[in-house]
Amino acid sequence: MITFSNVSLIYPHSTKTILEDLSFQIQEGEMVLVMGQTGSGKSSLLRLINGLVPHHTGGILAGDISVDGISTRTVKPGSLAHLVGIVGQNPINGFVTDIVEEELAFSMEALNFAPDVMRKRVEEILDLLSLSALRNRSIATLSGGEQQRVAIGAALVMQPKVLVLDEPTSALDPIAAEEVLSVLHRLVHDLSVTVIIAEHRLERVIQFVDRIIYIEGNGETSIGSPDEILKNSELVPPIVKLARALNLSEIGTSVREVRRATDEIRSREYSQAGVSQRANSPAIRVNDVSHSYDDKVALNKINTAIHHGEIVAIMGRNGAGKSTLLHSIVGLHSPNKGEITVNGQDPTHLKGAARRQAIGYVPQEPSDLLFASSVEEECTLADQGNELATGSTAALLNRLVPGITTHAHPNDLSEGQRLALVLSIVLAASPDVLVLDEPTRGLDYHAKALFGLALKEYATQFNRPVLLATHDVELVAELADRVLFLAEGDIVADGTTLEVLLSSPAFAPQVAKIMSPKPWLTVSDVVQALGDVS
Amino acid sequence: MKTAGIFTFKGASLVALLATSAISALGFIWPFLISEKQGHPQWIFLLAAPCALLLLMISVSNKELDSKSIALLAVLSALIAALRPMGTGAVGIEPMWFVLILSARVFGPSFGFLLGTISMFLSAILTGGLGPWVAYQSFAAGWIGLGVALIPRNVRGKAEILALALYGIIAAAFFGIAMDLQFWPWTLGADTQLSYVAGAALSTNFSNFISYHFLSAMAWDIPRAIFTASLIVVTAKPVLHTLRRAHTRAAFMTPIEFIERVKA
Repeated sequence: MITFSNVSLIYPHSTKTILEDLSFQIQEGEMVLVMGQTGSGKSSLLRLINGLVPHHTGGILAGDISVDGISTRTVKPGSLAHLVGIVGQNPINGFVTDIVEEELAFSMEALNFAPDVMRKRVEEILDLLSLSALRNRSIATLSGGEQQRVAIGAALVMQPKVLVLDEPTSALDPIAAEEVLSVLHRLVHDLSVTVIIAEHRLERVIQFVDRIIYIEGNGETSIGSPDEILKNSELVPPIVKLARALNLSEIGTSVREVRRATDEIRSREYSQAGVSQRANSPAIRVNDVSHSYDDKVALNKINTAIHHGEIVAIMGRNGAGKSTLLHSIVGLHSPNKGEITVNGQDPTHLKGAARRQAIGYVPQEPSDLLFASSVEEECTLADQGNELATGSTAALLNRLVPGITTHAHPNDLSEGQRLALVLSIVLAASPDVLVLDEPTRGLDYHAKALFGLALKEYATQFNRPVLLATHDVELVAELADRVLFLAEGDIVADGTTLEVLLSSPAFAPQVAKIMSPKPWLTVSDVVQALGDVS
Repeated sequence: MKTAGIFTFKGASLVALLATSAISALGFIWPFLISEKQGHPQWIFLLAAPCALLLLMISVSNKELDSKSIALLAVLSALIAALRPMGTGAVGIEPMWFVLILSARVFGPSFGFLLGTISMFLSAILTGGLGPWVAYQSFAAGWIGLGVALIPRNVRGKAEILALALYGIIAAAFFGIAMDLQFWPWTLGADTQLSYVAGAALSTNFSNFISYHFLSAMAWDIPRAIFTASLIVVTAKPVLHTLRRAHTRAAFMTPIEFIERVKA
């Protein structure tokens, strides 16, 4: 279906090749994962398939790419629209209309399809993606998973043979992600659609894919079955890390496989790890806080306290009230009812430098905080704003991610670099509490590990609290001391990470699923427990 | 091979631009050209100007606009159309001209013309102010966008901002004159000292118009000129920077090369 022969790509005004001498074939009805570090060229590869690169961006393309026998060299991307459907990273950015049904019909409308054909296809797609209950809903009111499904539907109405998705699950909670992936699985198996997908969260997709294209940082690219690629790659999901740590002979990609292989390990007896003392000096107090938007209740009488030196994760479905709670704590709005204090102060009353000093906040879209035209300028501004010695923010940034180009525009950085920049600007003020909203979207494992280290250091070194809202269960398992689980505006679970994650089937990390009922969340937990025994 | 450039008038569309501009220019200055003492030929122009505009848009949109230019045009016209009513329009304070002028500076005069006409038309729809004057306003705004070509391309830095601010003043004055010209034969009765006198000598009408214009200009054009020029001075640096970035990011005229193999 798709053939790359000796493809190399160089962007204009750049001397670095993005891809080098890449050749592979993808058959009809295959599901292929493209993985690699942030900024390695995954999105470029995806856009090469429908010709957006280089027709839209310019650049030098060596070799040839053909899709269903048509070379992208000879036709414009528009002429491939019926063949290749593309779904971007953030579906909201791609929507044109307000209503689900209209969005599905839009591309056919633009190509002047007959009304009865349009009607029929819209109905088919609604059924195929189980969207019929949502047909008249406004897109803005849908949850992240539903929006992603609508975006896939809008791409499918043209009946493309190839579907290309760029990080389709990165903004979704685990359940919504499952929902989207099972839809893709169905498309591949029932309709023989060829699916190419780029994703950082390997643990979510690995069990569904037939093959992996692994773009290594140095221009090398390897292609093969998941087992082959994951055996040697640097980027691996926890499930493979576990297999490596336990020296299993086979590397499995699904929980079921690895569970079978670890039967013996699970059957042994282990000493219980000592329960560490919970700190008890509240930094953030939330008393009876309720908040609603129009008639929708977002928070319903929330009571909790975040203690010094504690890393607390807030989890829950998209739309469960996580961001609203964070906004209230940060003081972006005062809640309708109830009271919040941060180190004894009302956050809505803080202004300017005092506020930066009291609360560090990294919003969901970190680039919202960036307004200067280069990284260097941002760092200098942060130094001046916090009355620090020149270069201290830049030094902090360099420790988080070495080798950032300082004259680059913040929007040209990769997702991970941008997050590191925002984090170092926020941390430069040395705030008393740190609040982060979905910080690991678009980060690869390596960047995530660095990020985790920085947060841990901040929490332990200064004995200050960190509060983060996230869907990333693996991150929570590695990092958090305590988890608050929100649903429909209520706290439905509040306890140590171990208690909360182990008891939830959907939100359990991979290692916990494999090792259940043993109380281990991460690979290092397992290794430690095994080490204690021997 | 190169990626498509940003929209420019050339060939047939350039001819269309010149022809339609000439027609609508006549629509502005007819009071000075008519010598006979007969009715109001502006009726013809009230029809001709919108038709000319429509034809021009059709001729341009058929083939010559590529997707990137359309996207850019759409975003900027929406922005300008939304900015226009923000100044409530009182005494000519409309915070839209600086965006038009700065965009035309970055994306070229042809693009500036399209942007001016489309955004004027769009803002008329938004504010419900649709009427025969819209075509005149659209053309005037288009010419303002087109006129940015007067500033040499290689001027940069402080000189560029100064030139743009000066142009802002000229543009504001031009818009005032054009609108007055279009309104003048209609507004005053036939018998004031400032009225248009059909069939009178050019000098009479001209001096009448100048007096009329200066009376109205006090209230409208001067605040508009000051406001536009100061907005340009204040915002030029960041706005130009952002637009230029958009220009490079959209990769207009960036070479595409298809080769067999990259040399090792």
